[in-house]
Amino acid sequence: MAAVLQAVRARLRRLLGTDENGTVMKIRRRNQFNNFIWKSLPIIRLILLVAGYAWMLAIPLPNLGRKTYIDENALQPGQVNTYWNWPDVLRADRYLADLEGLRDRNASSAEQAAYIVDEFKKLGIPSATQAYSFTGTSGVSNGTNAYAIHSSPRASGAEAILISASRISRTGDLNLRGISTVISLAAYLKGSSLWAKDLIFVISDDHLLGMQAWITSYHGSEQSGLVADPLTLSSGVIWTALNIDYPGHSFSHLGVFFEGLNGRLPNQDLINSFGLISVYTGGVPILLYDHRDPREVPHLESKLSIIPSWLPEIVKKQDAVKEYGFRAKNILRHVGYQARGQTSGVHGLLHRFRIDAITLFAVPATGPHGFHAIGRIIESTLRTMNNLLERLHASFFFYLLVLPSTFLKIGTYLPSVILVSVSMMFTGLGEWVDARWYQPKQSSIEEKAANGQAKSEAIPRPRPVLKALSIVLLTHLAGIALFYLRTLSLASGSETMSLLLFFLMASVPLIALTAHPSPPQAVAPLSKTLKAFNLCFASTVISVTSVLNFSLAAALAVSLGVPLSYSSPSRSSLGIKLAGYTIYAVLGFGWLVLCRKEVQEAIWNWEVLGAWFALFVCIIYSPLVLQAAIVSVLPP
Amino acid sequence: MDFGLVYPALVAGRLLLAFAPLPDALKHDHQLSSPLTSYPRLQEGVYLFQHGIDPYSGGLFRHSPLLLSLFSTALPLNKFTSACLWTACDAISAWALVKIWRARQRVSQSSRDSLIAAIYLLNPYLLLPTLALSTSTIENMLFLLSLMFASQGQSSPSLLALALLVQLSLPSAIFIVPMILLLLSDPVSRLASPREFNTYLSSILAKLGTFLGFSFALTSLSVLVCGNWTWVEQTWGAAVMLPDLTPNPGLWWYFFTEMFDHFRPFFLMVFSAHLLIYVLPVCLKFQHDILYATYILAGVYATFKPYPTLSDPGLFISLISLFPETYQYLRYPIVTTLLHLHSALLLPLFHHLWLSQGTGNANFFYASTLVFGVSNGAALLDAIWAGLRIAVGNLPEGYELIQK
Repeated sequence: MAAVLQAVRARLRRLLGTDENGTVMKIRRRNQFNNFIWKSLPIIRLILLVAGYAWMLAIPLPNLGRKTYIDENALQPGQVNTYWNWPDVLRADRYLADLEGLRDRNASSAEQAAYIVDEFKKLGIPSATQAYSFTGTSGVSNGTNAYAIHSSPRASGAEAILISASRISRTGDLNLRGISTVISLAAYLKGSSLWAKDLIFVISDDHLLGMQAWITSYHGSEQSGLVADPLTLSSGVIWTALNIDYPGHSFSHLGVFFEGLNGRLPNQDLINSFGLISVYTGGVPILLYDHRDPREVPHLESKLSIIPSWLPEIVKKQDAVKEYGFRAKNILRHVGYQARGQTSGVHGLLHRFRIDAITLFAVPATGPHGFHAIGRIIESTLRTMNNLLERLHASFFFYLLVLPSTFLKIGTYLPSVILVSVSMMFTGLGEWVDARWYQPKQSSIEEKAANGQAKSEAIPRPRPVLKALSIVLLTHLAGIALFYLRTLSLASGSETMSLLLFFLMASVPLIALTAHPSPPQAVAPLSKTLKAFNLCFASTVISVTSVLNFSLAAALAVSLGVPLSYSSPSRSSLGIKLAGYTIYAVLGFGWLVLCRKEVQEAIWNWEVLGAWFALFVCIIYSPLVLQAAIVSVLPP
Repeated sequence: MDFGLVYPALVAGRLLLAFAPLPDALKHDHQLSSPLTSYPRLQEGVYLFQHGIDPYSGGLFRHSPLLLSLFSTALPLNKFTSACLWTACDAISAWALVKIWRARQRVSQSSRDSLIAAIYLLNPYLLLPTLALSTSTIENMLFLLSLMFASQGQSSPSLLALALLVQLSLPSAIFIVPMILLLLSDPVSRLASPREFNTYLSSILAKLGTFLGFSFALTSLSVLVCGNWTWVEQTWGAAVMLPDLTPNPGLWWYFFTEMFDHFRPFFLMVFSAHLLIYVLPVCLKFQHDILYATYILAGVYATFKPYPTLSDPGLFISLISLFPETYQYLRYPIVTTLLHLHSALLLPLFHHLWLSQGTGNANFFYASTLVFGVSNGAALLDAIWAGLRIAVGNLPEGYELIQK
């Protein structure tokens, strides 16, 4: 029996190639592979880094991207006849005249809200006002919202569509035409019996504050610093929302703003449906934001284009270059909103409650479009939203719009950031392994050789893990402290405070200069271990963030990738060390002094709207750079 | 640092945290408490029980009748008592862990005590479920108490704690064999010098008899409390039949949401049996150091149990502090750590994308639970490797170790 088993085992081994020779071969191959990876690690990580950055630069390339399409079949955009017509335009004009009268009388926002509520009541739609006040470090702001709810004639009102206009446009002007559009739409839409969802009309005060107060109260959530009247009218779950921003006299294009708070994007189907309807039902071309294609307006080309003027004419005239420049401009605008977690308009406040919302911005121009076009487009878009049987879904939330009708899928842009992140991870792991082994210097080898022990083998040594971890922890705690100090000191808003904080944050870590180098054969240098942790954590943060907020991850990859990967303690003089340190300090904390307005805005966004960006910078970004700074001043 | 100073400080810190005004959302978090360990469900059950309604008649309450009787009579649940009780459970667990360490080293105290207590009390995977008042904290305490008594050779208390644990969570029955074997040997580290395990079958059977006796008594008590047997299906049955598919960080729920109903019984059998098949091989391979075998099984349990929460891997991770002799033989500790870092960030993030923000779907969270499964698996495999590798010792230059 035993002999049979032996034979079977031997045969199995031969079959699986695990006999003696095979094992030896396997070990050799594995060692060779490990050696190869180890030796080429610096090149691999450089290649990954360069590939990542190159990919980022390639995102606006003209031949990348695909045409937008409608994913949700229920939407059926543009398939209905619209009946909005000149009488409705006339009605809008009358509202506009009244509103202009109120404006000229310098009527308070409460008076305006009362007027709007009155008009809704005249139409027979239940309506009410809501007064609110925000108290923050930057003072108190009060206002009054007006809203009306038209109950669905066909359904139970479990779902709703929101149509809103803020009193102040994103341009800072009054959004009187937007408001008139919403009221006359209410009058018009009330006439049809086909609505399967409640229609909620909201005229919010201010630009963002009014809607923030309204939507927070609607969902019954609390917010510190906000005192708002409870809403007397209620409806169902809001699925989709349109916000109308029409500040000018007439408009030439409709621009779409879609970025929400904390980088949340609405379902792309909403944007695509609106785009189709605008072009084919309304005959109005659409734009991303208010970006007109420089090629369409030759007399403004130099103003609109972001292609640097110092480029030779022959390059600038290339069609591909122009296309690249235009796409890059759209992407940069998008990154600017998304990375900072800012909302690009009133719609972005709704995303928090899982409402897919966009802002239609009527780009001010002398013509040719007005109430007639915008009314029809909104009517048809609302009909499309009315068709929905379930929430917009299908993972159509991850996209990068490069042109109004061209987008990049997640697989085409995400790898750029991931490549940089992987490069950082490799660098960190390499640093970790490197810290473990002590390579005796040439001279000592010769000595050993003289003693008859000719070995150049590396000696393992312990790594100061706890020490490095406590530095990491301390820097992040310092970040939290910084955040609270900065938020508190905003009330005073003094420049000296910013400078003080900057010097405090930048100078304390210089204690590291006093650290004594430990004997390299006894224990690994702290700088190597710290750098390993720094890079591994930064890489994790970047790759995890990339799914939530691609722009933020890309911004981190750009700002942290090279500085963190190539931070190293130098053996040179104190002066050079300090110079290196200063660069890191400015990178990590320079924003305290250099972008004071930006900081104030970010803190306002945090306090009032709940955008995480300020907190993220203070407790993740700055501490990471600070760790790299400490690495650069520690003894090698 | 002095254990007498650090330990009270840590416990006091934990108590302060327990009273901190944390959002109620923590209690409903899917990663911190499962349907079998959730605090709101426990409250609901106690309320129903006190009002004369059988809490097991609905599909909501799945805690053991023992907890029900305890909290509806002796210890009323409110904000104050539960904060104290849950912190006390963790304090006892940490203390038990230190005792196990001392028993393994055969010392009355050591310089490592404070570190071990800190590793337990500061482990976020254990801290957060305690703050969410998940009853998995109680299960972890019972496990560690049982292990502590077994290490000290106190047979009855150990088996009683184990019987209580099995009452609360049926899958922990995989610890019966190692715990009995540990009672028959000692917890001293023999990883470096394996030897055969010698015992008589009769003594194993005697311990098993004691365990069964305790279990029978506790089961009778449960029947007495409820007055019927419906609780068996709702509590133990849930661990086998998986009736509640509320998402959790484990590997079972998604698999069974996707499955056709006629395959369900077969795969339930496969998944349950899979948890059991590790017991004997692990106990045989580590027969020289049963405490290590128990540790490995705790890893298996955390990775493959039906309704895991973060506290199960947390227990496994904190247990590693008992075996510092294996650290230098771990092959990829940094990779495991980074995997855990990634999954600890991805789990709440994808959960948020799916259920709060609505831009993701169930597959997102499922993907993150897979990453979590991989990180637990990596930790487990590396622990097994290091535990076996240590017996070979340092290799001379130019030699490689292979397994045949």
